[in-house]
Amino acid sequence: MSAVTETKEQVVRAARVPIFTRLLERTLKLLSSVRFGIVLLVLLVIVCMIGMLVMQQNVDGFAEYYAKLTPAQRVLYGALGFFDIYHTWYFNALLLLLSLNITLASIERFPGAWTYIRSPKKTVAPAYLRSQRPNVTFCLNGESVHEVVARIAEACRRAGLKPTITDKGERTFVFAERGAWNRLGAYAVHLALLTIFFGGFMTAQLGRNGLMELAPGMSSSVMSEPRFELNQIKRVGIRLPFTVECVDIQQKLIHKDGPILPNNTIDWLTRIRIHDENGTHEALVHLNNPHDYRGYRFFQASFISLGSARQITVQATSTDGTTHTVVIPRNGSASLPDGTRLDYVQFFPDFRFVNGRPDTASGEYNNPAAQLRITTPLGQEHTAFAFGRALPTELPVAGPVGGYRFRLLDFEKAPLAHVLSIQYDPGARVVYLGFALLALTLALVFFFSHQRVWAMVEPDGTRGYTVTLAGHTNRNQLGFEDRFKRLVQALGQNANEINLSPKKGAKKD
Amino acid sequence: MSEVIKENVVAKSLPVITGSWRSHLPAALPIIGAVLFSLARLELGKQGFPSDGALIVLALACYVASAAFLLTDIYAPSRFMQRTGIWIASLGAFFNLASWGVRWIAAREREMEIILRNGGEMPWVWRYIPFANLYDLSIAFAFGAALTALLLAHRAAGRIIAALSLPLTALILTLAIFIGNDFINLPPVLDSYWRPIHVGVASLSYGIALVCFAIAVLYLLKDGVKPEAMAIWTSIFAIAVTGSINRFGVFFTGDYAASTVFITADGTRISLPLRAELPYVGPLLIAAALLLVGVIGAFAKYLASEDQSVRRWGHRLLKLSLVVQALSVATLVAQLRSSASDLVARIDPRQYVSFGEWVLKQSGATAEQIAALPPTQLQQVANQWITANGASLQLSLKGNPVELAALITALAGTLFVILFSFRTDRLRAALPSLERLDNLMYKTAGITFALLAVLLITGAIWANESWGRYWGWDPKETGAFVAWLTYAAYLHSRIARGWTGRRSAYFAIVGFLLIVFTYLGVSYLLPGLHSYA
Repeated sequence: MSAVTETKEQVVRAARVPIFTRLLERTLKLLSSVRFGIVLLVLLVIVCMIGMLVMQQNVDGFAEYYAKLTPAQRVLYGALGFFDIYHTWYFNALLLLLSLNITLASIERFPGAWTYIRSPKKTVAPAYLRSQRPNVTFCLNGESVHEVVARIAEACRRAGLKPTITDKGERTFVFAERGAWNRLGAYAVHLALLTIFFGGFMTAQLGRNGLMELAPGMSSSVMSEPRFELNQIKRVGIRLPFTVECVDIQQKLIHKDGPILPNNTIDWLTRIRIHDENGTHEALVHLNNPHDYRGYRFFQASFISLGSARQITVQATSTDGTTHTVVIPRNGSASLPDGTRLDYVQFFPDFRFVNGRPDTASGEYNNPAAQLRITTPLGQEHTAFAFGRALPTELPVAGPVGGYRFRLLDFEKAPLAHVLSIQYDPGARVVYLGFALLALTLALVFFFSHQRVWAMVEPDGTRGYTVTLAGHTNRNQLGFEDRFKRLVQALGQNANEINLSPKKGAKKD
Repeated sequence: MSEVIKENVVAKSLPVITGSWRSHLPAALPIIGAVLFSLARLELGKQGFPSDGALIVLALACYVASAAFLLTDIYAPSRFMQRTGIWIASLGAFFNLASWGVRWIAAREREMEIILRNGGEMPWVWRYIPFANLYDLSIAFAFGAALTALLLAHRAAGRIIAALSLPLTALILTLAIFIGNDFINLPPVLDSYWRPIHVGVASLSYGIALVCFAIAVLYLLKDGVKPEAMAIWTSIFAIAVTGSINRFGVFFTGDYAASTVFITADGTRISLPLRAELPYVGPLLIAAALLLVGVIGAFAKYLASEDQSVRRWGHRLLKLSLVVQALSVATLVAQLRSSASDLVARIDPRQYVSFGEWVLKQSGATAEQIAALPPTQLQQVANQWITANGASLQLSLKGNPVELAALITALAGTLFVILFSFRTDRLRAALPSLERLDNLMYKTAGITFALLAVLLITGAIWANESWGRYWGWDPKETGAFVAWLTYAAYLHSRIARGWTGRRSAYFAIVGFLLIVFTYLGVSYLLPGLHSYA
């Protein structure tokens, strides 16, 4: 059959294939091509760069940024979804296409990689051997071909390569290799990436994340989840399967007398009790130390920066001049020797009266005062204030209450409330599994290699044998060349004879 | 082949430091030395020991000197140059790491004083590891790059790569010096054991990426990319840098205005969004930009038509632009270092509205409150602030570190292209083979890719422990992700038919530029959770 006839038949055969099948084949070919994968990666890079340069609507300060944009920018960016680019249809489509590309490209190339493990090429053509870097040819004397081959195999074993001996006609081949599993590393990396993508999808679909503001004594079973719509934030209440009670909040400061600002803070600690049908569970949540309970994780997220006090030290001076000092925790109480009880009701960092009621002028500790409830031994209740600074005795608030004047000697600074972030994320475990797999497989791919060595032994007509030794590695060429050099030296040959610049053009393995 | 090239090849093939373990001594000794030095500093106290700032200046001097020796070695090979270059680089790495160790100790001593005075309990030692801000990251990044260069330098190919990597490392340290080594109060969220892991991996991966970038540039040069084509790109970069200053202010007004710094009562330095005009710098920058436009035009014509006379003109303009760029940087630095008495008079009042907004924002005003004020009132706020605090305003090298470092990088880019243009064929012959460069590029890119993956993983786990989400598309994490994707594209380009070689090298270059953008651009330009570093 002539070449022309053959081509015509191929065209006719192609024409017989339905257009749908041809389209499908072409699409699959495109989706599984590495070039298409690179194009997708570049597109993903571009989209992410836009997301970096255009402020996203869930970032603090978005309202200010949005207000500064021109109307044309707002319309254009809004229409293209740039303000929430990571949730647009085209971003999701890119991720989906990339996942498909990874899967299809892996399926297409996997059989080739598996061949290296299942049926390694134990015999090769002499021209192929001479085209490998490195290669070397030398003569070995021996009693028999088996003795020579056994020496080569032993040398390979000592060089860390697992040998196999194969006879092929006049020639005998020693094929030795190590790290064949490395050929599968890239597929395992792709599997790890798909696992991470799947975990991310689970997080997006099933995950919940909200905030809960807590002050000592407060309880709540609802967290508020923020929903962003351009420069508007809506908060949606999500009911939890338990109730969280705040026991104590504490802010560890660097400068004890400094402000309760983040740059003066070592840590924020929130002690909570979780109540549900199983009973009561106590927990401590602090920065970088979340607490897990029933698949929910509690994080120290932020704080309400209005000054308060975790505990106060109050000096009570009776009308006869006797003084007593007591330390009262927030929402707690203390008793004086005569049975008078002092309850710590409220703290005002910058005390003032507004419409006859106690209030604070600011959140800073400019004029600290604690409101106390005094219960006399006879059961009478009074309200008193203990101030940080000395007040003239003629002022009504400085007057004796229940037979005592009170002074705020010291207090431990703490914010009004802490904000916990509560996360429910069934996808996180899957993502973590993907992370572990990714780290492991990347190490497998980049720190190991598939190294192969072939020795072709041919009788040279006398008692000697010609050995053509060549090797190949899929990475770490320099390391492999060192190993090859050791192998050649172990066979009593001169390593300087190794050819490191072979002529190209031989058929690839 | 000329005799010089033969000599060159012979000199390169000789191992400078022989023996497998001895060949790694220049990389190992700085680490051992710096650990011992830091322990001595811890035991004996700060008396008689240099400060971390002084050590960094010494490291910078060593890197520059070493680069000079190794670059000279390319053109005039000698074993003395090679040995001296490598050991000076090793000394630089020692100073670099010792500075980092001393900084760790000094940070702890600084806070220990305050906390113990207050009767508080001393936090753990990891709280003070110098990975708190961009300065810390920069010195660790520079050390990562120097260490990688030293690990490669015992081979002939590695020395040429080191010759190009060390000047880049010196640029990173210059930037660090401009940023300033002031201690910051650690944001509490950073007080985690994940910080040394995450930022340590970042420093190492960035350092290796820098070396990979140097290899990619050398690959392109070896592959026949003309220095003139490179000159077009470096000129575009230099013009873009000048253009980015004060939003094209130099081009529109003809004047250069430097960022001012406010010194608070306790000596803290705050960079202000208020610029003061500096004479001569603007015209010099414009002249350099015009010369570079000429360079672009001439070299574009040469590349299109192979017209040698245009090429010669292009090179003349390029050399002239180098001189003018150097003059502009020198004039700028000289004026920033001098204390100007008429600083307030040099501030253009047209900045008052935006500065007034900044002042109000610092005093706690909300965006809505600021937006409600008329421009005249904002001007008044700015005017009042400047009248009250004018005496505490200063010019400083640390006022706008990225801008100054970018101008110096543009100058270095022009210098390198001129170096590449000098006896290019001889340089190409001295470079390792394409295969070897490709091998090294693959190796460094592979390690960068793997380390960037670990960086993303550790960052995600830390974010999940601190903020309750492992991924939030914050600009810094997206930046690292984007750089990782680019290295992924690089690795895949090697197995895509027809995309190997030069195209792969472009991906490696873009990958590093994206890392630099993540490292600097995100911190200085984009808001987000990583705005501290």
